[in-house]
Amino acid sequence: MSAQLELKHINKNFGGLRVINDLSFVAQPGQITSLIGPNGAGKTTLLNLISGIYQPDDGDILFDGVSIVGLEPHEITQRGIARTFQTLRLFLNMSIIENVMSASFSRAQMNLIDIVFRTPRFRREEQRLRNEAEEKLGFFGSRLVGYRFDQPAYSLSYANRRRLEIARAMMTNPKILLLDEPAAGMNPNETLEVTALIGQLRDEAGYTIILIEHDMSVVGGISDHVIVLDHGEKIAEGDFEDVVTDERVVEAYLGRKSS
Amino acid sequence: MTEQRIGTDEWVEQHEARLATQSELRELVYGFGEQLPLWGRLGLLLLIGLFVPVLTSNPFHIRIAATIALMATLGVGLNVVVGYAGLLDLGFVAFYGIGAYAYAYLSSDFTGVHLPTLLTIPLITVLGAVVGFLLGLPSLRLVGDYLAIVTLAFGQIFVQLMTSLTRVDLSWVPFLTTDGPVNLTRGPNGIIELDSISIFGFVADTLTENYIIRLVVLILVLLFVHHLNNSRLGRAWRAMREDELAAEAMGMPTRLLKLQAFAIGAAIAALAGTLFAAEQKAVFPANFDVTLLITLYGVVVLGGLGSLPGVLLGAVIMIAVPEILRDIELASLLFYVGSVVALIGLIKPRRLVGLLLLNVAIIGLLVQVIAESIWPDSLAELPSVASVFPEFSVSIRFVTAIIDSLPEIVTSIVRNWLAIPVGNQELIGNIALAILIVLILIASRIKQTTQLLITLVPTMYLLALVWEIRLSGQESVTRLIFVGVVLIVLMIYRPHGLLGTQRIEIV
Amino acid sequence: MDNFFAQLPQQIINGLTLGAVYALIALGYSMVYGILQLLNFAHGDVFMIGAFIGFGIMSAMLSTSAPSVIIIALMIVAAMIGCGVLGVVIERFAYRPLRNAPRIAPLISALGVSFFLQNVIQLTLSARFRTYQTAQLIPGSIGVDLGTARLSGVRALVIIVAFLLMFLLQYLVRRSKLGRAMRAVATDKDAAAMMGVDVDRVIMATFFVGSALAGAAGVLNGLVFFRIWHFMGFNAGLKGFTAAVVGGIGNVPGAMFGGFFLGFAETFAVGFLSPTFKDVIAFVVLIAVLLIRPRGLLGARLVQKV
Repeated sequence: MSAQLELKHINKNFGGLRVINDLSFVAQPGQITSLIGPNGAGKTTLLNLISGIYQPDDGDILFDGVSIVGLEPHEITQRGIARTFQTLRLFLNMSIIENVMSASFSRAQMNLIDIVFRTPRFRREEQRLRNEAEEKLGFFGSRLVGYRFDQPAYSLSYANRRRLEIARAMMTNPKILLLDEPAAGMNPNETLEVTALIGQLRDEAGYTIILIEHDMSVVGGISDHVIVLDHGEKIAEGDFEDVVTDERVVEAYLGRKSS
Repeated sequence: MTEQRIGTDEWVEQHEARLATQSELRELVYGFGEQLPLWGRLGLLLLIGLFVPVLTSNPFHIRIAATIALMATLGVGLNVVVGYAGLLDLGFVAFYGIGAYAYAYLSSDFTGVHLPTLLTIPLITVLGAVVGFLLGLPSLRLVGDYLAIVTLAFGQIFVQLMTSLTRVDLSWVPFLTTDGPVNLTRGPNGIIELDSISIFGFVADTLTENYIIRLVVLILVLLFVHHLNNSRLGRAWRAMREDELAAEAMGMPTRLLKLQAFAIGAAIAALAGTLFAAEQKAVFPANFDVTLLITLYGVVVLGGLGSLPGVLLGAVIMIAVPEILRDIELASLLFYVGSVVALIGLIKPRRLVGLLLLNVAIIGLLVQVIAESIWPDSLAELPSVASVFPEFSVSIRFVTAIIDSLPEIVTSIVRNWLAIPVGNQELIGNIALAILIVLILIASRIKQTTQLLITLVPTMYLLALVWEIRLSGQESVTRLIFVGVVLIVLMIYRPHGLLGTQRIEIV
Repeated sequence: MDNFFAQLPQQIINGLTLGAVYALIALGYSMVYGILQLLNFAHGDVFMIGAFIGFGIMSAMLSTSAPSVIIIALMIVAAMIGCGVLGVVIERFAYRPLRNAPRIAPLISALGVSFFLQNVIQLTLSARFRTYQTAQLIPGSIGVDLGTARLSGVRALVIIVAFLLMFLLQYLVRRSKLGRAMRAVATDKDAAAMMGVDVDRVIMATFFVGSALAGAAGVLNGLVFFRIWHFMGFNAGLKGFTAAVVGGIGNVPGAMFGGFFLGFAETFAVGFLSPTFKDVIAFVVLIAVLLIRPRGLLGARLVQKV
């Protein structure tokens, strides 16, 4: 089995502060790879490096064996890596369906002439994208469908905004989904649901998933592989059960045991 | 204490209520618009537009309509850049100027080139797009306010160059023999005697013909931009305006999208520039100054950024109202009616408006009596309503007749409520204006009705006085002050414009 | 080349004078931007009004027998107070209601204020040029000859007053309690408010100080360059902004540096190249600087937080 995403010796500094230190790991296709670690461990920075928002100082990132370092974020997305944001960055004043459809920009088969003259190809393509967007939204049950299509995104509840962001990422037709704390700010019921959903994304939609999460119940429930970061370094890796009992991990989370 | 419910966002809960209070006007326009297909709406616009020259042959009115059509076209272009893509471009007028000057070079004796219109117009539109694209390139590195200031500098450079490129040494250009410095732009004197637009032998010489051409171009541009907005391109622009980083992360090439917005806006501006130059039959650097830029922003912002019907409404208000101010009688009517309407909108309960007006008149009489007794013969007779609006309309003569038939005391109040000085008008007017500005600022802070009424009495009186002795005589300055005030007041009370949607920004 | 060295000292003096005026305008721009992230397009018009206040005082007092020093001091102080108050009023009525509005709203409101001020002045005082009677205040005979160059009394005055004001400002920002509050508000408004800083008052003070500097610049500019009119604020504002950007906006020493940088660039361009493109120079400098270092020559690079 060849790796879907491979990070090789990544380093990243911010003005002398080392945020990621010689980090390497591999994400296998069709698996959920979880990144955990205390606050400030460099998890979100890592996601920004993969999605091209930051550039690594050195090291390489391979996607299906090809380096994606130096590409612009939209090019990386077009190749098949989509993400969500920890802080939620929806297009708040656009409708729900538009939020999702906008993410299909680079796949839409239409040029300026089609757009201006409303050619049959334009109509066909718009209809196809709309159907596809409705299908993605349908993945989340009845919450984001029907009359909701044309409501502005700012009218959604917090949990639904998180769902919409996942749907939007799915619309780019990615192979890898990077989820940055999808359960943050959710209540226990919603968290359970999101956990099940991430499992579905892997099993039914077949995405490779890289997950950042604080909530251990989410991570423990679905992860195929867990990587623990602390101060930008990988301190442990393996199954969830192995990792959480690792001495260094406990130390990173709880502090050194006084002996 | 209100009960806090878990899992609901109070702000979102109130969304419907907020929408309901938002705008009756918007509902009206869009409610009507949704009943008609796009071609129906544009057809209706064409019909209304064509009706103007049928209705009136007064060149003054047709000129207003022609200016509105031109400014609306420019506004639609600016709307692409600012409204859709969210790029604050303050150099937009330069593209308009480039279009106009390009037309001058391609269709005048100045260069000796006389290309057919059917060739120049597409050529200049493409040129506009290319220049917009090229000037957009360096701007890509800049964010927000920096973009605004650099584009403003671009716009100024254009005007400066057109003014000062009168003695350019071109001897370094190969294959070009010149005797001494070359005059490239004729400076402030501009390039004159341009060709008219001519299409298949039809030559647009008159104002009306030019107006119809502008109207047709406006409708085509509206159609073009409407289609762009309702496609992947429009979605991507709006997404980019909402959150540039998220748009980029969702696979939208934001740099390219910005350049496309710049280019399309510039192309529309250049096209409008050709229409302007062809009608004026001349171009001058002063045609493309900051006044035009600010008026244009007024057009786009007043209607609501991002709204095409908004641009049309904005153009009608921003152009028609100041133009009407040129006609002193019409302007006075508009001023007084407008003031009363504004008061009715401002003061609740409305019956207090009558009380207020009565008080203004009484104060006016007192001022009159006191002034007469201290400085005899210092006051001019206020022209009676009938003489201000000679034969203006039946209804006003009717009102005058009623006033004349009233008891003498009322007639004298109506006739004499405003004390107009004979001499020193300028000084008195300036002082009154200064006090007026202070009073308006104070009044804008007052919440309590009684206090507001008390403040408004002298305010309204001074407003009328300043209007009569300073503003109404200087229509060109008055309209610019009007534009400035509209921009400020609009941003404070209705930043999304008359027809725009209220936007939510979370920082 | 001989010509160049013969002219250089005079050009340096001219550059210093022009730069002092630009620096004073730039400071107000920079302070307001630093604290509100607002491009105050009306700032140039505040400068214009300062020039008119100074002119008014001068016209009224020249006929009296008051000594020149008193007249000039009065002109500068009156312009500073008048413009300071004007700045506070503009902030209170045109910008404060928009503090939580969309980003573009205060910008457009600022354009409106600029337009309003210009045209109200045109309406009340007409579009005529007015001329400062500098020669009657400071006779041309006062001055120092420095070889090929001459430092006239008025230029010396402008340079001294400008440096004095900048020194006072630097003291205010660095050492006083108000200055500390300003820096706190500039860094994080909400946090400063929670720490007990009265944000509204600090912003008002910033507008007062910034506008007062612009008012002083208006008088100094009138004293050296004589001609004033209602539209002068537009170009001055653009150049002041350019200077602020060159030095890194929001940065007080940067604004001073930028002012002198631009003053020298313009003076040298006019003196040694061609006077035709005097006004274009500033814009070319602006565009070049922003393209090479988008945050200005002295501005800090910010890391985008995602």
